[in-house]
Amino acid sequence: MEKQSYKNTLLIVIGNLILLLAVFSITAFAQGKTAPAASEEGKALYDDKCAHCHGIEGAGDGSAAENLLPRPRDFTRGLYKIRSTESGQLPTDQDLFDIISNGMPGSSMPAWSEILSEGEQWQLVAHIKAFYDGFEGASPRLIDVSGKVPYSEESIAQGKEFYTNLGCVDCHGVIGRGDGTSAPDLADEWGFRSWPANLWEQWNYRGGSTTEDIFKRFIGGIAGSPMPSFISSFRLGLTDEESARMNDLELKMDGDGLSDTEEEEYAALEEKLFMFEDIMLNVEEGVELTPEEQTKLDTALEPILEKSWHLANYVKSLGPEERPPAAVGDKVLRSQYRAEGLPGMNDEAWNEIQEVSYFPLVGQIVIDPRQFNPSIDSVTAKSFYNDNEIVFLFTWDDRTKTLPQTDDETGETVEDALAIQFPVKISEGPTDPKPYFIYGDSRPVYLWSWKVAEPSTVIEMNAKGIGTATVQADQAPIQAEGVYKDGQYQLWIKRSLTTEDRNDVQFAPGVFIPIAFSAWDGSNGDVKTKRAISTWYTFVLDPVPSNKRFVYPPLVALISVGLLFGLRSSVRRRQNT
Amino acid sequence: MKTQVVTILTLLIACVYVTAATAAGGDEAVESLVFPASYKAMSVSNGGTISGTVTFDGAAPEIKKLEITKDAQVCGKTDKFDESIVLGEGNGLKNTIVYLMDISSGADFPSGAKYEMDQKGCQFDPHVRLLPIGQRLTMINPDRINHNVHIFSDANPAFNKSQPGTRRKMNIKAVKKAEGPVSVKCDVHGWMNAWIAYIPHPYFAVTDENGKYTLDNVPPGTYQLGYWQEACGTNKDAPVSVTVEAGGTVTQDFTLAKMSK
Ligand code: HEC
Ligand code: HEC
Ligand SMILES: [Cu+2]
Repeated sequence: MEKQSYKNTLLIVIGNLILLLAVFSITAFAQGKTAPAASEEGKALYDDKCAHCHGIEGAGDGSAAENLLPRPRDFTRGLYKIRSTESGQLPTDQDLFDIISNGMPGSSMPAWSEILSEGEQWQLVAHIKAFYDGFEGASPRLIDVSGKVPYSEESIAQGKEFYTNLGCVDCHGVIGRGDGTSAPDLADEWGFRSWPANLWEQWNYRGGSTTEDIFKRFIGGIAGSPMPSFISSFRLGLTDEESARMNDLELKMDGDGLSDTEEEEYAALEEKLFMFEDIMLNVEEGVELTPEEQTKLDTALEPILEKSWHLANYVKSLGPEERPPAAVGDKVLRSQYRAEGLPGMNDEAWNEIQEVSYFPLVGQIVIDPRQFNPSIDSVTAKSFYNDNEIVFLFTWDDRTKTLPQTDDETGETVEDALAIQFPVKISEGPTDPKPYFIYGDSRPVYLWSWKVAEPSTVIEMNAKGIGTATVQADQAPIQAEGVYKDGQYQLWIKRSLTTEDRNDVQFAPGVFIPIAFSAWDGSNGDVKTKRAISTWYTFVLDPVPSNKRFVYPPLVALISVGLLFGLRSSVRRRQNT
Repeated sequence: MKTQVVTILTLLIACVYVTAATAAGGDEAVESLVFPASYKAMSVSNGGTISGTVTFDGAAPEIKKLEITKDAQVCGKTDKFDESIVLGEGNGLKNTIVYLMDISSGADFPSGAKYEMDQKGCQFDPHVRLLPIGQRLTMINPDRINHNVHIFSDANPAFNKSQPGTRRKMNIKAVKKAEGPVSVKCDVHGWMNAWIAYIPHPYFAVTDENGKYTLDNVPPGTYQLGYWQEACGTNKDAPVSVTVEAGGTVTQDFTLAKMSK
């Protein structure tokens, strides 16, 4: 269901992309501009704008660094993630300029293009390079992006195979949500926690999400991080038939063993492979190739690069480029009336709702303990109701399923959990204040608390401020079912529209009901107030169908936008104090 | 964590030693071994031998069994243990590098030697690899599952390449600068770790399972003898002076204690 709506956006995005790329690839060969000499101006700018994160000496140890993950780059080792250059090479000046200009989405590295002039950004490039001797006289080799394979279903299908066979799954998970079996143990070269990208969230790619960007990342690797280069993953210089034969022989070698002739055959294939590999290693070692060798290498690389483009196309196909719009205005969550009965968790009926509502989450940084580096960044929802009951289907991405366990750092018991929050009393209009968005205040909130250890239970709670959440003595019968699969939780919840309990929220068609979320990722150390939260959003039970096209646009839009700004300024105010 | 401590400690010591010895180059600060400013290969006749045993000081520590969190059908066939301290007969300490710090001319590396590191069963073998600068290393993957070879170099370029199950042997490029030991990891299997020392001359040895080492064909002279051990650190600040006579044999044993954390 979710996938479908992604696909629609995707088709449009891709159409545009192909056009764009056609234009851009003409310029793609150019290495771009080079930086001026390092200057006093560059240093002054750096000390003013960058040093509090990256450190005066460029060691990534500025005063703000401690709370950031990923950490600000240490410039003294010459290790750069985002490069248009081959594995083991330094970035080009243009690469550094682009990063400064665009920032690194999904991290705290800001984009500077609107704050600094181009000239200033180039001065910064020069200053950053001066932190590492190795840049002197270096002329890094560029990744060849000339053989781009157009985006097509066929290419995607081929790419998907490589995604599995080359081991992307180990880290990025079976379908790419960053939940691979190796994911929980990764660290970068500085020893800090490193998470594989959730490949569905392309707006969080550090180095951009065009097919070229993706291609460059796995050809060149992401230096300093666990993500390796895959350039040597294919058997260079062998045809597909020869490679398949080698597979067979290796299987046999490990089984019954090879006959003498097979032994010879294998040795010949290996020799051929090593002959080509030798040429490639010469390039990596900086040896000048003869024109014949160059031609040989280019010819051998061609099919490998083609396969790599298929893989890039596959990764590109996984998700939209842009973060989905938040569930405000015309995207507000609407519970749809369904006379035919309310769907169970895996019911086809959920597909009737084309567009899921998207609720962005941020780290809770107002109250101690805080979460500066939340790992859950959104919850999505769909909902149906009928004359008696309402049902919700929530999903959220989490790279690890964490059952209750002791956190190494804090000694607290952590686990994955979700809480859905409503005010007990629904406000009369935009001027009637809502409870404080974190667990209420004198105006109480009503909570549905779900925890991974008991996936079929939702507990009703009330709170009148932080630290006051209490389990209701009288639990209304709420049905729930939570499952974890491929890096995503799905939680299905059903309750009667109304209850007898004065401390419960009551659902009625046509009323704007505030809703907010808290999510805990146990493996990220989330516990108590250390968690990801949303501000208040509103949702509404669509009126009973007689006039299904009835809309409430301006009011909803107003309320929701107002809420968003409200949260932003309140978080900021508290941060400052 | 432990390796970080090792590096930091040795780094501190290295700084002291390097300034005192004014060795050449700009990268010493992060290195754990000491290399001569330059080295000239020549033919050595009538060389002597330095040999000995490295012994672990104190009771044998508890050896941690590694948790195999992945690919158990391949990686879990045999139990894997932490290899930072491996003891043999009489507490002989395996995987200690013993070497000459200050030799400036002597024998060349044996010609035609092959340098390999195996990843069989999701464990690097050898755990400590000496690799002459300018030589390629062959990484072997008989497991038919994916590994990645991630080398934490500083003086030399970054290295991290995937070696899927279909690359049974993968040669990796030679480096130019003496460095190390640098740590080698497979990120796919977080417990896999090893060390590579990129060495500029052949007077390096790694102790065997009983802690024994031999440096032979040493030109007569007096040298500073150093060691490096993953968990026990180095003696860079206080190397042992040994004098080798033509055709003679010198015995030099070491007793190492685990560095406090
Ligand atoms: C709020 C903190 C912050 C500030 C301010 C900041 N950076 Fe960063 N920067 C980061 C973080 C965090 C990363 C690493 C992100 C990652 O690894 O995913 C980074 C990474 C980088 C990189 C490395 C790119 C790569 O490919 O690896 C460059 C270059 C960079 N920053 C330049 C700058 C410059 C120039 C400035 C000042 C104009 C600056 N940064 C200011 C946080 C900051
Ligand atoms: C050993 C683990 C590992 C493997 C195997 C792996 N990756 Fe990654 N990948 C990572 C990590 C970790 C990151 C996040 C790097 C960072 O920004 O620090 C990442 C990031 C990425 C990104 C995001 C780049 C960006 O700009 O942020 C893409 C795309 C990607 N990987 C694709 C792949 C593909 C395709 C494969 C298989 C060919 C693959 N990865 C295999 C660990 C891995
Ligand atoms: Cu491995």
